[in-house]
Amino acid sequence: MSVSGDAFNAIEVRNVWKVFGQGSPEPAIALAKAGSTRQDIISSIDQTVAVRDVSFSVARGETFVVMGLSGSGKSTLIRCLSRLIEPTAGEVLLNGEDLLAMNDDQLREVRRGKISMVFQHFGLFPHRKVIDNIAYGLEVQKVDKATRHARATEVLNIVGLDGWADRYPQQLSGGMQQRVGLARALAVDPEILLFDEPFSALDPLIRKEMQDELIRLQKTMQRTIIFITHDFAEALRLGDRIAIMKDGSFDQVGTPEEIVSNPATPYVREFVNDVPRAKVLSVGAVTVPGSAPHGARTVSATSRIETIIPMLLDNDEAIRVVDDNGTEIGVVNRHNVASMLQAEQQ
Amino acid sequence: MIKRYRSLAISVVVILIGLQVLGSGGFPKSWNIGLSEPINTWQSWIRSNRDQHWMFTFILNPITWTVELGLNVTESFIGWLPWFIPPVVVFAIIARRKKWVMAGFAAFAVVYPGLVGVWQESIETISLMAVSVGICILLGVPIGVWTALNKRVESTLRPVLDAMQTVPATVYLIPIVLLFGIGKVPAAIATVVYALPPMIRLTSLGVQQVPRSAIEAGQMFGATKRQILSRIQLPLAVPSIVAGINQTVMMALGIVVIATLVGAGGLGQEINQTVRQLSPGRGLVVSLAVVAVAFVLDRVSMALISQPGSSTVKTSRKALIGFVAALVLATLIGRIIGWHQFPISFGTSFADPIDTAVNWFRDTFSFITRPFNDFIVRDVLIRAQKLLNSTLSWQMIIFAAMVISYVVAGWKMAVTTAIGVLTIGLTGRWLDAVDTLSQTVVAVILSVLIALPIGVWLGRRPRAEAALSPILDSLQTIPPLIYAIPFVMIFTVGPVPGVVAAVVYAIPPGIRLTSLGIRQVNKESIEAATTFGATDRQVLWGVRIPLAMPSIILAINQMVMMVLAMAIIAGMVGGGGLGYRSIEALTGPNKGLGAEVGVAIVIMATILDRLTQATAKRLQAPAAI
Repeated sequence: MSVSGDAFNAIEVRNVWKVFGQGSPEPAIALAKAGSTRQDIISSIDQTVAVRDVSFSVARGETFVVMGLSGSGKSTLIRCLSRLIEPTAGEVLLNGEDLLAMNDDQLREVRRGKISMVFQHFGLFPHRKVIDNIAYGLEVQKVDKATRHARATEVLNIVGLDGWADRYPQQLSGGMQQRVGLARALAVDPEILLFDEPFSALDPLIRKEMQDELIRLQKTMQRTIIFITHDFAEALRLGDRIAIMKDGSFDQVGTPEEIVSNPATPYVREFVNDVPRAKVLSVGAVTVPGSAPHGARTVSATSRIETIIPMLLDNDEAIRVVDDNGTEIGVVNRHNVASMLQAEQQ
Repeated sequence: MIKRYRSLAISVVVILIGLQVLGSGGFPKSWNIGLSEPINTWQSWIRSNRDQHWMFTFILNPITWTVELGLNVTESFIGWLPWFIPPVVVFAIIARRKKWVMAGFAAFAVVYPGLVGVWQESIETISLMAVSVGICILLGVPIGVWTALNKRVESTLRPVLDAMQTVPATVYLIPIVLLFGIGKVPAAIATVVYALPPMIRLTSLGVQQVPRSAIEAGQMFGATKRQILSRIQLPLAVPSIVAGINQTVMMALGIVVIATLVGAGGLGQEINQTVRQLSPGRGLVVSLAVVAVAFVLDRVSMALISQPGSSTVKTSRKALIGFVAALVLATLIGRIIGWHQFPISFGTSFADPIDTAVNWFRDTFSFITRPFNDFIVRDVLIRAQKLLNSTLSWQMIIFAAMVISYVVAGWKMAVTTAIGVLTIGLTGRWLDAVDTLSQTVVAVILSVLIALPIGVWLGRRPRAEAALSPILDSLQTIPPLIYAIPFVMIFTVGPVPGVVAAVVYAIPPGIRLTSLGIRQVNKESIEAATTFGATDRQVLWGVRIPLAMPSIILAINQMVMMVLAMAIIAGMVGGGGLGYRSIEALTGPNKGLGAEVGVAIVIMATILDRLTQATAKRLQAPAAI
């Protein structure tokens, strides 16, 4: 039943379109539905279809990553979800309520309490101290100063910035600034967090550190996250599910493992080719039917392949593979893993 | 391809010769569109309607009264204070920002006019400037915000602002004098008109430059439009608004001397008198008082506006109240003892040595200055005027101007230039325009010959530039008329002191932009040339100068505009041309003349500006794709 589906999903996006350009968007949508490419539509009627009939839903507590290169429409899409950009058509349901049907007051209420956003270039206020940046969302809601500073201090500690409250953002390093951005979003205790390429302005080591930080926080917070990135490796690390976006629409949506083991289009395959499968695929993907001798080592089908490589190097006896209930579903040996890695080389 | 160009060039030459043979020298006097008539009609209408028409009784007179009240209150309040109160207050305001040395300087700047005997005059000027700048802020900030938030308002206001800045002050003083009469109020209003554009521009710029992500962050947290404006956009625009106030103060200062033509009084009047008495020492001493006033206003306004991250001396409310109470007490005691007059004055003792020095210079170097003067006047200016006014036919001049514009900037500019030059002729100010143009060209050539080599030299020596930069800065803050005074003494009255003063006025920005261009040349290009074994000279001529060319042309453009702006000042010291006519219009009965001069000078400025800008654009390396 779809109603129960609605109740389960934190956010549900149905057939969202965004057309940029002068005049009515109808002809552009009609052309797109008839199969014209984005480039065709630009050259024929000078309108850009930035988001093209996108639908998806995100479950409560899930991390949904939209991965695409620049110009794929991902930034426009995330702005449509909070109506920073007004979608041309479609529905965005928050707990079953249509965001696009709300008036300005209702929208403001939703933004104050339910959704928060972390920005690519941090979007911090250079004229406010770190503490007042973090407390901004509460200040807009007219929470009194003592309460909002108490809450801001609490969040500041969560992101590991205790002691920096009285600095100005520009006095902090890039990674620390984005911690402030994250703290500011968390301070209003939102149900849904939108991340617009939050780590892409950071250097690789800091980026990895911030990804780890987010994974750690998400374990305890369990928020609904929609995360935009152009970095496929980042998408694989963070996403429960990933959507690959190209020219305004999704090429493929699936778990990291589904996408890596079974890329749906040549475009997706190009990203997958560079991925070390052993880090993404689980043991289940290389399990063959059969049963292991009594006393053989046992692994779970959901653990990553890289975790069993030391075991196989240690000793080449087959390993028993079990599902979540502990039932044996097959075995895996050196040969299976080696031929998977061999396939990756080609 | 080459053939086509050659035939084109031949036909251009043939047309030029043909126009020269068939055309006539000078612009026909009878072809006049009569710009001055409506102004003169308007003038007599105003004269007979001033007392009863609603425009005066309900709009203009109330404005006059309000501004007058503001001026009087400010002036008499500052005059009423014992003399030692203003320096103490200024010191306290600036010292609160922990800028102790600056505070000391500012306090000294406050007492300086008193020391040289122009205390009362400086109070008049500071009141005029404070009221004008205050009005500029009250009008400029809201209008600036409005233009930033509304594209349509911006596009309608932009040409108005451009015009406000290019029309010479003497020209728009005319309608202001017609409407408001002579005195301090029209002087204040003229100052506002002149100084308002940068306030609007920089406020608007500041609001527009707020990062999009900061606004989006505000929206995402559910801030209302008003909350975003007041808590995000305005605070982030503060540095730009402060820069606007700073610019406005400088502009207001620039007009202090010209405003005396309509009766502003104060320091400007003193300066005007020193010009008439040919006393450069006194002129310099008094104009330093103008600079001091500007400096104080600027620093105080900066200190009053808090900027994020700047440290202040922590003061408790108690201490503040105590300070104010002490001030009030000191004021009362001062009044009772009678210390409201400035106690000491060194009068002319500063001025005399300067006069002596200038006289010595004139007498010692007359073997250079005399021939230079004669050469510029007899061999350059008079010949150029004869050439443009009688030898060459006006038809040929217009066509030649068109050809140059076409080559530099294309068809549209060629048409604009043709219409512009023709219009100058039709206003009846051909001869004056020729006069001003030849002086401008001479001044620009001299400025280029001086500024570009210095700029190129400084561009590679950052330390020398840092040492020179305060001198360049202060050259730009002294009222332009002051430059002219010593040169009038050295070269006698005529066009040359105006030209030389214009050169001195124009070279600082020329040097600045040139050295900036040389310095900003991509390091890798220079390293590449060096690794190929280029000599320093080859790097300079083959890499640095070509790559700095757009910046150098921009420097020339700036110098052209500054020299033109000096045309009015040149008119005040006997330079003739449009500058002289505008003063004649302002102070004499023929106000309509002002409209002709205004149109002519705006056209000239626009054409020269666009041509040099287009040249800069052509020389720029193509942008990356």
